[in-house]
Amino acid sequence: MYILKNAFRSINRSKGRNILIGIIITVIACSATIGLSIMNAASKVIESSKSKYDITATIGIDRDKMMKNVDSSSESKENMKERFNSMASISVSDIESYGDSKYVSSYYYTYSVGLNSDTIDAAETQSKGPGGNPHGQSSTSFTLTGYSSYEAMEEFITGAYTITEGEISSNFSDNSCIINSELATLNNLTVGDTIVLTNPNDTSKTYELIISGIYSDNDTDTMNMFTNSVNTIITNSNFVEQIVSDDATLNAKITPTFILTSEDVVDSFEQELYDKGLDETYSVNTNLDQLSSETESIQNLATFAFTTLIIILVIGGIILFIINLINVRERKYEIGVLRTIGMKKTSVISQFVSELLIVSVISLILGGFIGSMLSVPTANKLLEQEIQSSEQAQANINEHFGRSMNGADENSKQEKPSNMPTKGVSKIEKVTSIDAAIDIKVLSELIGIGILLTLVSSLAACISISRFSPLTILKERS
Amino acid sequence: MSILRLENVSYKYEDDKKYVLKDINYDFEKGRTYAIKGKSGSGKTTLLSLLSGLEKCSEGKILYNNQDLNKFDLDKYRNTNIGIIFQSFNLLTSLTAIENVILSMDINHQKEKNKREKAIELLKSVGLTEKQGDRRILKLSGGEQQRVAIARSLSYNPDIILADEPTGNLDFETENEIMAIFDTLAHKQNKCVIIVTHSANVAKKADVVYELKKTSQN
Repeated sequence: MYILKNAFRSINRSKGRNILIGIIITVIACSATIGLSIMNAASKVIESSKSKYDITATIGIDRDKMMKNVDSSSESKENMKERFNSMASISVSDIESYGDSKYVSSYYYTYSVGLNSDTIDAAETQSKGPGGNPHGQSSTSFTLTGYSSYEAMEEFITGAYTITEGEISSNFSDNSCIINSELATLNNLTVGDTIVLTNPNDTSKTYELIISGIYSDNDTDTMNMFTNSVNTIITNSNFVEQIVSDDATLNAKITPTFILTSEDVVDSFEQELYDKGLDETYSVNTNLDQLSSETESIQNLATFAFTTLIIILVIGGIILFIINLINVRERKYEIGVLRTIGMKKTSVISQFVSELLIVSVISLILGGFIGSMLSVPTANKLLEQEIQSSEQAQANINEHFGRSMNGADENSKQEKPSNMPTKGVSKIEKVTSIDAAIDIKVLSELIGIGILLTLVSSLAACISISRFSPLTILKERS
Repeated sequence: MSILRLENVSYKYEDDKKYVLKDINYDFEKGRTYAIKGKSGSGKTTLLSLLSGLEKCSEGKILYNNQDLNKFDLDKYRNTNIGIIFQSFNLLTSLTAIENVILSMDINHQKEKNKREKAIELLKSVGLTEKQGDRRILKLSGGEQQRVAIARSLSYNPDIILADEPTGNLDFETENEIMAIFDTLAHKQNKCVIIVTHSANVAKKADVVYELKKTSQN
């Protein structure tokens, strides 16, 4: 108890020195609080982002691998083309087999086929359908896209498409469909009307669909008079599957999406697909890069905060160590007297450490309070700079793709900095603010840092006191 | 019966072959004053360091109440069994006289309820007033500081008082006053007072005088 009393008395006696130590620890605590808060908030944002979006895997043709095979093979280009065209596409049963995995929580797919119609007119624009006519079929005017579930209807989930009239049928095995509002206007169609599509290979084969809803495509970023989806008719995957099973030569495209249980299983899932017979020319693509792009700014901010924190701690620790060393040297006589009249080394050390601890605790509270006040604006300012830098980089990429020359105005670029044609990127919202609040974790980390700093800087006192001989000190003084 | 006995005590510094003290055999009893005389370099202060447990003898042994001092917790020995008084007083100048005395009681872990009252009483016993006791050390004269040092050494009622040139910095009149206090401590309070000095006046007032001579033995 008397050690604590002496410590308080000594602090009061040496106000100047203790205020200096206090200021240093306050600055360190303040910086540490800001750094820790930013790191903590960043980690929460990253975690929340990971939980907000599913880890999805899709299967697509690995064109690079295919081209390499062409280059290294002696096969004629005609043969290679033929082989490419006849390459087995993924079937629904394949998808079901791939989806039956411990790494997959659920899966869905879209099934698209190119068709024509004698009863309705297509808008004069390039369809987003299966594309081309690799099988040498007649060109098609419409793309019939079938979804296996609501989950698969990404455009509706993200708001790219919205129903303006009627609804999407909840029955995924009927012959209902929804059509683009522009197509409806063009052909004077409304909910309840029937449209008839024809097989491009055999015009005698027709498929009747009842319009259950009309949707609008909110993507205004187009050079065409009509939106890209104008000739896309949406139905369920079962209906498309029936059409394709009836005529295997139809140009159909199936796009599966697997929702994985976690990001850690990506490699295992990929290996499992190849083990189950997926051709080597297909690759498994995930949205991990897209997810990490969302939190890239936050991650950079957290790294910056961590680096700054370490630098401040190291420099602050060294300064405190030196101040304490000088302090002990200045108080050698006091140590000598205390030791001579029987105070134990450990008691003297305890008193010196207590003094520093008292100053540290007060400074930590002060620094923590100031830091908590400053952490949110500081974090958001740093994040703003990081986002600006990121947006500038994205704007530069847009320019490389000629976006600045195709009529998109500056405002639209500002609003959608990442609207490159890479699927999915624009769907993931970038984090634009950070809530760098103090919580128990930050508080305990701050206390940990405070104790660490006190111990490190007290080390000087402990070493010096343990090496001092009281008699030598007093002789020197005499 | 001796309270402190030196049996063939020798001392040399670790890095030196020459002995500072060689085969010292002294006996100290309670109720008497002892003067240890000697020229500069004869080892007077070294002997005091050995007696106070600040240094350990190289050879021989020091017995306190017939127990080897080396077996003692020397910190406890210094704040319980002996009181040390220095020529340069060695008081904490940032504290008042009373606070210096109380600090010594604290180190001795005394459970005294009113330490301040006891400190004032001790200071009064060596001729200081309460007002003087509330002054910072540097506001006191040399004689007053030495009285504070004596009061501090008495704060835990030790058996032995060790004084290293206690009057070295004081005038003749003050020297006599301080010696009178030591005399009282020995003869009325039954303490063993050991004074290291080169002053003939101080030595003359001691009951027993030991004279240290420079040793030339290796």
